[in-house]
Amino acid sequence: MTIINVTDISKRFGNTQAVDHLSFEVNPGEIFGLLGPNGAGKTTSIRMILNIFQPDSGKISVLDGPMTEEKKNHIGYLPEERGLYQDIPLERCLVFLATLKGMEEHTAKAELEDYLKRFDLYEFRDKKVKELSKGMQQKAQLISTLVHDPQLVIIDEPFTSLDPVNTEMVKDLLEQKRDEGKAIIMSTHQMNQVEELCDRILLIDHGQRVLYGTLQEIQNKFASRDILVTPLNTMPESIKGVREIKKLNGRYFLALEEEAEPNQILKSLINAGVELTEFEIAVPPLNEIFIQVVKKQEAVKHD
Amino acid sequence: MTKIWKIIKYEYTRHVFQKRFLFSLLSLPVFVLVMVGVAFIAAFFSIDTSPVGYMDPGGMLENAVREEMDDSIFDPQIEFLPYQDLAQAEADLQAGDIQAYYILPESYEQALQVELVFYDEPAGEIQSQFNDFLTDNLTLHDNLDPQIEARLEDGSLITMKAVDGSREMRQDQWFVVLIPIIAGIMFFVVIMTSGGYLLQAVVEEKENRTMEIVITSVSPNQLMTGKIIGNIAVGLTQLVAWLIFAWIGLKVGGQFWPVLQDFSLPANYVAVLLLVLLPSFVMIAALMAAIGATMTELREAQQVQGLFSLTIMVPYYLSSSLMMNPNSPLAIGLSYFPLTAPVTILMRFSSTVIPVWQIAIHILLLIAFAAAAIWFSGRAFRMGMLRYGKKLSLKEIFGKGVEK
Repeated sequence: MTIINVTDISKRFGNTQAVDHLSFEVNPGEIFGLLGPNGAGKTTSIRMILNIFQPDSGKISVLDGPMTEEKKNHIGYLPEERGLYQDIPLERCLVFLATLKGMEEHTAKAELEDYLKRFDLYEFRDKKVKELSKGMQQKAQLISTLVHDPQLVIIDEPFTSLDPVNTEMVKDLLEQKRDEGKAIIMSTHQMNQVEELCDRILLIDHGQRVLYGTLQEIQNKFASRDILVTPLNTMPESIKGVREIKKLNGRYFLALEEEAEPNQILKSLINAGVELTEFEIAVPPLNEIFIQVVKKQEAVKHD
Repeated sequence: MTKIWKIIKYEYTRHVFQKRFLFSLLSLPVFVLVMVGVAFIAAFFSIDTSPVGYMDPGGMLENAVREEMDDSIFDPQIEFLPYQDLAQAEADLQAGDIQAYYILPESYEQALQVELVFYDEPAGEIQSQFNDFLTDNLTLHDNLDPQIEARLEDGSLITMKAVDGSREMRQDQWFVVLIPIIAGIMFFVVIMTSGGYLLQAVVEEKENRTMEIVITSVSPNQLMTGKIIGNIAVGLTQLVAWLIFAWIGLKVGGQFWPVLQDFSLPANYVAVLLLVLLPSFVMIAALMAAIGATMTELREAQQVQGLFSLTIMVPYYLSSSLMMNPNSPLAIGLSYFPLTAPVTILMRFSSTVIPVWQIAIHILLLIAFAAAAIWFSGRAFRMGMLRYGKKLSLKEIFGKGVEK
């Protein structure tokens, strides 16, 4: 069973085509990265999944069928525009939001106690929300997204305002949810987090699907035939089949000639008596792929 | 349903159990109490209990008998001292031994006039005590039937009746006229309280950005219904509390002013009050919610709310004209305009007989306005809920571009 099945949806606001024939699916037990430049149509897509907007055309299935009021109880959403009720104590705010997700008040309180302790917010539970720091409010918001143990979690920039310790904790929590079989859609511009967490990604631009697949597949698709090596002894001046050798922080970056094969280079290095601790095909960072793809899209649009 | 209930509970408790609410709840009765208390104390200290003298050269009050009266702290029985000598009475008045003296001329039975001499005019209660004293003693000689005598002492009590018999009003129940006006003021205060809270609740969710989380937990209709009922309940709590205070006030006040004891409200009066006020209440609450949904900042929304309250208050500015000429074109016109209708209808109702068919039309119209306001606010809300920076225009609300 897929958790979300989006088939050929489009949405137009006035003269802007926000989403343009977009299709994708999200499975249980995966963290799905929804990426794209600002204004690409990510938030509109999320809002259509959540039935805040209706698509002009196309079909969306959430948790095995069209969206219903009951299904809202099984979804946790951390929107881009986030906020909490400011004038009431933290615990009361979180209990109220949890009961709106169908939880009983006493269960909500018990669950929240665990979460608040885990996020170091327990001692602040009687403080008014507006008295908490930005980072604390962000943690509270994450608690509110997860406390009702949703089947589907949709989070927009979950790591904003978090320090490295809390970032690590949130990552662990998201991985734990994935291992429990929950589906998580994460929208973020922090590509390093996507590389660390996401199993599959969808990159959209101008409302259209640009990249879609597992992280591995996409990175392989963009992999150049370049090699990274870390030698223990000195590297030869030139190697057959290598057009350029660059030294980077104790590692060497070898740019291959057209015809050369990585296996052949490995053989040449060993024959030349180089002792290697690392030999890998250079995979471009997601950040570069993102920039490359988006720039290419821009160029196409302008032509 | 349970989610609506949770929203109602949240909206209700976050206002009612606040110090601010208790303060505003108690401020009105405390204010009234302080005002009444000050008036009481002022009245009490201004009562002059010194005797009043009288000159009776005609001897009409010879062997005068003074009946014991039911006195109260505000109407204590005053002693009446007979004088034979005008100079003596004048001297005692100047010395402050008496507060005034009456002169009953010998020609009193023809002229029916007395003279009252004073520096500060004695209170009305004292003058009516002397009046009773005079009546009692003058009729004593006539050996009247006690029933006739009693009737004579009671004086006149005029009851006005409408031609069709639907309404009547006793002279001593004049304050019943005030009921619709007081009800109108209470309505105004309560609707402005509830409406203000409602406005705040809707705008706040946009201001603090909780809207998107909330509408992915409940439907917009559930949210709106919960908010409207919750905040109306806050206003009604205030109203009920005030009515209880008023009832206590009547009971306590009845101890001092017997006229308050036989205070009663005719059933048709109450029925019309409720039938006019309930749809008006819903109508204005829904309009407030609509304002909240279209505005992006609380301050801005409160300015628009101010315009509404000014309009609702218009009949009060024109109250003398409306009550003197309750069937004038102005009065009738204002009772057809949704915002001025509630107060105008109540005012006219207190000073004229509005035909039943007209009342029915007014009530039906108000119900229709209420329904339209709910429709309008639902639409404004669905369109405006995720607008964070931009106001919603009327054209957009009535246009086709609404989100399904």
